[in-house]
Amino acid sequence: MIKKFIYLEWKQFVRASYFQKGIAIKILLILGAIYFGGIAILLGGSSFFILKKSFPDIDPIVSVNNFLVYWVLFELMIRFFMQQLPVLNIKPLMIIPIKRSTVIHYLLGKTTISFFNFISLFLFLPFSIVLLVKGYPVFNVIFWFLSLMCITFILNFLNFLINKSNTIFYILVPLFLALIGLEYYEIFKVSEPIGVVFNALYNNPIFILVPVLALIGIYKVNFKFIRKGFYLDDAVSKKVKEVNATDLSWMNRFGNIAPFLKNDVKMISRNARPKQVVMMSFFFLFYGLFFFTQSMYIEKMPYILAFAAMFITGGFLLSFGQLVPSWDSEYYKMLMSQNIPYRQYLESKWYLMVVAVAVSFIFSTPYIYFGWDIYLMIAAGALFNIGLNTFITLFGGALNRVPIELNTKAKAFSNTNGFNPTQLLIALPKMLLPILIFFIPYQLISFNAGLIALALTGALGIMFKNFFLNKIERIYQKGKYKTIAAFGEKK
Amino acid sequence: MITTTNLSKAYNNIKVLNIENLDIPKGQSFGLVGNNGAGKTTFFSLLLDLIQPTSGHIKNKNILVNESEGWKPFTSSFIDESFLIGYLTAEEYFYFIGELRGQNKSDVDSLLAQFEDFFHDEILGKKKYLRDLSKGNQKKAGIVAALIGNPEVIILDEPFANLDPTTQIRLKQILKNLAQKQGVTVLVSSHDLMHVTDVCERIVVLEKGEIVKDIQTSEATLKELEAHFSGIEVV
Repeated sequence: MIKKFIYLEWKQFVRASYFQKGIAIKILLILGAIYFGGIAILLGGSSFFILKKSFPDIDPIVSVNNFLVYWVLFELMIRFFMQQLPVLNIKPLMIIPIKRSTVIHYLLGKTTISFFNFISLFLFLPFSIVLLVKGYPVFNVIFWFLSLMCITFILNFLNFLINKSNTIFYILVPLFLALIGLEYYEIFKVSEPIGVVFNALYNNPIFILVPVLALIGIYKVNFKFIRKGFYLDDAVSKKVKEVNATDLSWMNRFGNIAPFLKNDVKMISRNARPKQVVMMSFFFLFYGLFFFTQSMYIEKMPYILAFAAMFITGGFLLSFGQLVPSWDSEYYKMLMSQNIPYRQYLESKWYLMVVAVAVSFIFSTPYIYFGWDIYLMIAAGALFNIGLNTFITLFGGALNRVPIELNTKAKAFSNTNGFNPTQLLIALPKMLLPILIFFIPYQLISFNAGLIALALTGALGIMFKNFFLNKIERIYQKGKYKTIAAFGEKK
Repeated sequence: MITTTNLSKAYNNIKVLNIENLDIPKGQSFGLVGNNGAGKTTFFSLLLDLIQPTSGHIKNKNILVNESEGWKPFTSSFIDESFLIGYLTAEEYFYFIGELRGQNKSDVDSLLAQFEDFFHDEILGKKKYLRDLSKGNQKKAGIVAALIGNPEVIILDEPFANLDPTTQIRLKQILKNLAQKQGVTVLVSSHDLMHVTDVCERIVVLEKGEIVKDIQTSEATLKELEAHFSGIEVV
């Protein structure tokens, strides 16, 4: 029976339209997976030596054990965010004489070959091998490694249970950040008590029973959970949610683009995929922390900061904007035959991005902490985003013909929904241009000249808004039929 | 109102639609029938400029549909579920369409009030997103949305499919009323010969993309159509 399932799965994979169309994308994704896998292996292999060097008087295995708690929380967070629950199309299987338990075991088993489980494997296997080579006790290392794998699978199944509720995610993230903060300022080190637990796991191989039993337990819970939901009105039919209607009539002041803006706000707040993207763009706000905390960048390579500044306010623009018009793919035919001039549609998207940049700019106020230079840079970056990147993004959208399923979360490395190589190409100038525009006057004149150049470019872009929008509209018009046809294709 | 000249559409050199000449005068209720693949939806899609004609053109009130957007303000349509915005409630959707067509909330409300019995209490005030409605109810919402904003041309693809008998009967009254009393040009396609003969003054039969019959509806039309289609099936 399992063989049949795998056969079906293979058919589904090979015959999926994105597979047939996008070999290039597949290759890119595989390269991406290899890249991350390679990094994990490298990190796993070298971490022993790095730790030995940084903390010569602490045994590397002890350091690793101490900080494992963060890894576990981090992994859970990433999984929650990215890992899609496995879906086997069970509707046709329900009326066929196959034992339900077989289907469920298969469904759960399938999750064990998720990419996320391999990350742990790639990370800890090389580390364990290094330990063995270095002459650590064989038994302890192997059982420790196996325990960690058990924990990985526990997380895997735990995610299955908690994935449905966003509250858990909102608890998890602040908890994670708070723990890091407390640890950093040495107020309360959570790594110590939990480190003791993991060290005990290493020192006494018999303790492996704990994760093993926990794994069996959570598997059973999952099994029951699915078993209970194995009916048409539960698992298969989607949950019907009560509408949360908010009054958006205050947006009417935006004139004739108001209906679109209101619609976009509803689209974002009521669908899983755009919500995820907006959440992601929120994280872009923190991107500057990587750069502004390093004096190296500020003193020697301020042009890199132009890149960071663009990113801080451009999160929404980059992540949401690049998928215009795919967001409306589900009802694109209607938009095209309704009483909507193309121009108005594009303009509303432009305003949406402008508002998002402005809001991110307000959120970025705390960066004043790093000095006015930095803050002015962010302001110039925001202006550049509004004046130029919005248009580049809209232009890129004209080439984007991949439909999006609005209410399905994006999966990491398995969902090519709304992703294509042209997007990558279009994204390049968005990131490199600000660096270039800043770099030349900065080298020739001064830091401030660079800032002014960046801001001026943005201002110029805004002045030529109509010109750009006209050009972009023409490109959209030209590709209209192709876009309609592509969006109409069933995934 | 609608003039079709030398229109053809081909995919990979296979012609799926070929109409030399078809005039639909203003205020006519026009029915399109044909088996699967006869080209009904293709014709409507061409009329809405959703696909590009291989040759020829359609004029809607003297506007070339594939060159100008000027036909959009007075033309409305419901082809399939992709005309609905799944994450809106029915009301929100109606108001959205209303805003696009320059109707304010109370205009839309007064229009909706006329369709209270058509909705059968299953659409309005349900606090449900359109994507969560049943197929039939989605269709009702889509059809009514196509009536918002006093359009002069209404295009409905298979409006009777998926509807319950009560609603089918009401829809027929609504459509007849639109063409006869308000002078709206109504274009419908259907597989249900009885419904089209009831509603439409004129019926065109498509077969493999060609017009094979063009009938002014009379008492004998239903018999004629039935004979025609059973003849095809016997082959």
